[in-house]
Amino acid sequence: MSFQSYVIRRIGQVIVTYWAFLTILFVLFRVVPGDPVSMHVQDLGAEAREERIAELGLDQPLYVQYVEYLRQLARADLGQSMIYNESVWNIIVVKFWNTIILMAASLILAYAIGILGGALLAWYRGTAFEKGGIVLTLLARSSPEFWTGIVLLGVFVFWLGLFPVGGMRSIGSELATGVGRYLSWDFVYHAVLPALTGAIYFLGTPALLMRNSMLDVLNADFIEIKKAEGLHPWNVLYKHAVRNSILPLVTIAAIAVGMAIGGSVVIETVFNWPGMGRAMVDAVNNNDYQLAMAAFFLMGSVVILMNFVADLLYVYLDPRVTYE
Amino acid sequence: MTLLEITDLQTQFETSEGRVHAVDGVNLSLEANESLGIIGESGSGKTTIAKSIVRLLPDNGEIVDGEVRYDGDDITEYSDRQLRKQIRWNEIAVIPQNAMNGFDPVYTVGDQIVEVITAHTDTPNDEAMERAKSLFQTLGIDEDRVHDYPHQFSGGMAQRAMIALALALDPSLLIADEPTTALDVMIQDRILHRIQELQDELDTAMIFITHDMSVVSETCDKIAVVYGGRIVEFADTETIIKNPRHPYTLGLRNAFPSIMTDDQDLVSIPGTPPPLLEPDEGCRFAPRCPFAEERCWSETPQSEPYGDGNTIECHRADEHERIRPEASKSETWREQEEVIEADD
Repeated sequence: MSFQSYVIRRIGQVIVTYWAFLTILFVLFRVVPGDPVSMHVQDLGAEAREERIAELGLDQPLYVQYVEYLRQLARADLGQSMIYNESVWNIIVVKFWNTIILMAASLILAYAIGILGGALLAWYRGTAFEKGGIVLTLLARSSPEFWTGIVLLGVFVFWLGLFPVGGMRSIGSELATGVGRYLSWDFVYHAVLPALTGAIYFLGTPALLMRNSMLDVLNADFIEIKKAEGLHPWNVLYKHAVRNSILPLVTIAAIAVGMAIGGSVVIETVFNWPGMGRAMVDAVNNNDYQLAMAAFFLMGSVVILMNFVADLLYVYLDPRVTYE
Repeated sequence: MTLLEITDLQTQFETSEGRVHAVDGVNLSLEANESLGIIGESGSGKTTIAKSIVRLLPDNGEIVDGEVRYDGDDITEYSDRQLRKQIRWNEIAVIPQNAMNGFDPVYTVGDQIVEVITAHTDTPNDEAMERAKSLFQTLGIDEDRVHDYPHQFSGGMAQRAMIALALALDPSLLIADEPTTALDVMIQDRILHRIQELQDELDTAMIFITHDMSVVSETCDKIAVVYGGRIVEFADTETIIKNPRHPYTLGLRNAFPSIMTDDQDLVSIPGTPPPLLEPDEGCRFAPRCPFAEERCWSETPQSEPYGDGNTIECHRADEHERIRPEASKSETWREQEEVIEADD
């Protein structure tokens, strides 16, 4: 099978996965107790209530709602927020990118430090460096994000005064739109601490996984041959041992992206970050079907997309992976 | 000219149960362009001898005593950097047992040959790739296959590619650690012949590590028989095959079939190889030896010369004329087996 037909088949699988995901999403929100109308329109009379339900299309049979729901998504229409009476798209798109940028920074930092650190832990196995490193890694991995965040706030903001206390931009700074929002020093300045908090929390998994994977690879015959070849030890480490050990991390990284997007709510709360995590929790609390579903939809899309990317990347990284 | 001279080499491993004396006073010498077979059971220390030469011991292993003179220089005294730059692959190259695992799976074989050439010389990449292609031709592999990944090779072809890698820098000494064990007999034979031809063409000395008597008898000028971390007998191949003196060598010989004699009784040596944890005085083979006497248990035999440059470590070496016919009888070893079982 050629690479092209492999990609086409994977795209087919992605479509099926997507459909299953959308269906589960629809069912989940229909079976949760409560409905948006009863929660927010209590004071209205029965008539107004009926009217509102009809307006939202909730009086229709489920299958009609389901078909309508799929049709809307196919048109890339995320609907109106039931609470804010505004297009969900407008509410969520900026928040979504705020979260994506923050979490991407955290994850890239976490995986860069984790992979290099984990490789060194394995390379220096049995030394004090390794023992100290593992303790630090476990500490970072097991500290709750809000705690790490508060400690960072305490040290870098309230004590050293190096960074702003929260938010995404300084009050009174010029409001850029689109990509310009993220291309200012002011943004970077605000993003450092929340990104670092995420990075500290996320780096444990890649570091420990990398260490284990490396220990296996270091026992492989070819590592001994590379040493026997008289290559520089750093070449043996990075060109051969790390390169091979990184393979299992690709899959984990793809899953971590999904977890990070979903789990960003804690960091967003501590640092008052206008992201999607907070929007999602609010939406669920308010029974705002459309907004919550859109948030879950975007999150799920990121997970599915990342898994797809990981599969393609794996083929590129490991020549032994066949397309069958 | 003596290329490699090993004197009283002692390599030990630190384990949770104590120090393992894996190589315990080994003496060996090898002339340029000579081939030496090192034969012994698993765990006899034969691979550790090879790894001590290029200093590729695991972290818990160290050379505690002895010299490894290469071209007159004691390379156990070399710094890691010196060893890496001057000895490894430039002078001494290694062919591993399982070639498939000897290549990094994520790079093409050609790239790996290029990597070692450019690491040691100023050769530009494209020239190094040409060299890789010509090495492939020498080994009888289609030169376009330099662009293939290791998993795309068959076992025999991977082993030949490994030999190509080993020859990349024209080493003076090749150490092959059971190079054909993982292959079927037909391919094994072809590869052994190719190695022999190349060795003659390229003037390379060779150390062959194996447990297979037939492999060394075909390819080697001299054979060292290793038992319990020591070389119990060292002689030219003909002597080892036809007139060995050590009871262990005699026993090994019985364990391999000869196609010349018809209904030959294959006899194995009873018992198991000795533990090498802090060994006591006495001959290490004594517990399994049908000819062991009182002093074999209490005194470690020392290396004695015999014939033309041969050595043996056995208290009863002088009685070889009487021992040899006894040792070729299967009853002798069966009786010893009963003795061992009775002791348990």
